[in-house]
Amino acid sequence: MTETFQCGDNAALVGYMYGECEPAERRAMDQHLLVCPACAAEIEALGATRIQLAAWTPPEAQLGFRMVSDSAPSDIRRLAPSVVERPPRWWALSAIPAWAQAAAAAAIFAAGLSLGVWRGTAPAGPALTGTAPTGTAPTGTTAAGTVPAATVAAAPATTSANVASASDLTALEQRLRSEMASELALLRTSAASPAASQTASATEAQIMSRVRALIDESEQRQQRVLALRTAQVVRDFDSQRRVDLQNVRSIVGQMEGTTGAEIARQQQTLQYLMRVSQEK
Amino acid sequence: MTSTDEELVARSKGGDADSFNQLILRWERPIYALAYRVIGREEDARDVCQETFLRAFRALPGFKGEAKFSSWVYRIALNLCRDWMRRQRRAPTMQMPEGVDPIEMAGEHGPVESIETLVERRELSGVVEEAMKLLPEEQRTAIILKEYHGMTFQEIADLQGCPLSTVKTRLYQGLSVLRRHLEKNGRMAPQLVKRV
Repeated sequence: MTETFQCGDNAALVGYMYGECEPAERRAMDQHLLVCPACAAEIEALGATRIQLAAWTPPEAQLGFRMVSDSAPSDIRRLAPSVVERPPRWWALSAIPAWAQAAAAAAIFAAGLSLGVWRGTAPAGPALTGTAPTGTAPTGTTAAGTVPAATVAAAPATTSANVASASDLTALEQRLRSEMASELALLRTSAASPAASQTASATEAQIMSRVRALIDESEQRQQRVLALRTAQVVRDFDSQRRVDLQNVRSIVGQMEGTTGAEIARQQQTLQYLMRVSQEK
Repeated sequence: MTSTDEELVARSKGGDADSFNQLILRWERPIYALAYRVIGREEDARDVCQETFLRAFRALPGFKGEAKFSSWVYRIALNLCRDWMRRQRRAPTMQMPEGVDPIEMAGEHGPVESIETLVERRELSGVVEEAMKLLPEEQRTAIILKEYHGMTFQEIADLQGCPLSTVKTRLYQGLSVLRRHLEKNGRMAPQLVKRV
């Protein structure tokens, strides 16, 4: 298309709309649009659609990628796959050292084991929670009490290397297996002998009291935070109310002033009219 | 003095990571925006963006500079988007970004933009996203490259590997579908046709 434009040539229409056509095509289109309302309306509608598209914006993303390798691109194949680093995220697990992850996993495992022992030896739910003695601080000398201590003790051994090696993990696994076996043995013994059962009950009571204390502390902390925030909200609300009242007073004062001046002016006018009418 | 892309590419080829980081800084937002608009998921768009620059860095020795660096990176990103969509084996879902609160955004934008304008813009943005979902991938990509990245017909044709006339046809058909969808949603009233 150079000199004339035929209705229905949508490619030419698009070229014209985006300003990507030859000058001769543009002239031909300009002339055609003057005499063809359908094509003019089409161009207008497509243009309006394009304007609407501008509203679509991608969400703000924290990017900040960067290369973390100083090697030349040709050497990149010898490097680890992750050479383009992403900005760190607060929840990224990779930020935690391996030894800490291993220690945390072991601690969770030991806690679960203790809980399992406690559940296995508990006579009945309500009876246990209702009659558990309080105020007996855990001494760490009972069989169950040594489980977390032994598990945590494994952490410094791996800290020196700062990385959990395969041998460390194997040692940890063996340690956990032996502790688990001893726990099971204790469980069996406690089921058989009343003395052992009493020891287990005392341990359970200690755990329960500790859990209760932690819950109480947490609740108190939450209450303090709640009170603090409530006070803050009340204070903010009160200060905002004062500001609003001041604004309202100011506006009302202005209105009163305006109204008063207006009334005075009207009274003056009225008096003048009355005076003039009486003179006549 | 700001270095050109070509200068930064040359230095990057010699192993200067800082130069490549400058290229990343220069092009990561357009690439992220392209990926987000094509695949419609924020986190996946970030992944595509990251992978694009990783591949670009690895392929840098083979980059002869016949095309612009930006075109080359766009091509990598589009290929990755295509791979992503192929893996998904379904039409991409354009979702609203998580945690977007117009009131909160109003606070961030300050007094320049009123909450009403902001809410209207977000609503319109959502409608446009929904409309874009209706388009076939080729039409959607052509419109994205044209409207949001200002590419010429020829550049789009090169990136999409199709004739120039096909690009124009895709644009026309895509815009027509969008127009109908926006009209159906009452978004083409004169008072709404304003640049936000």
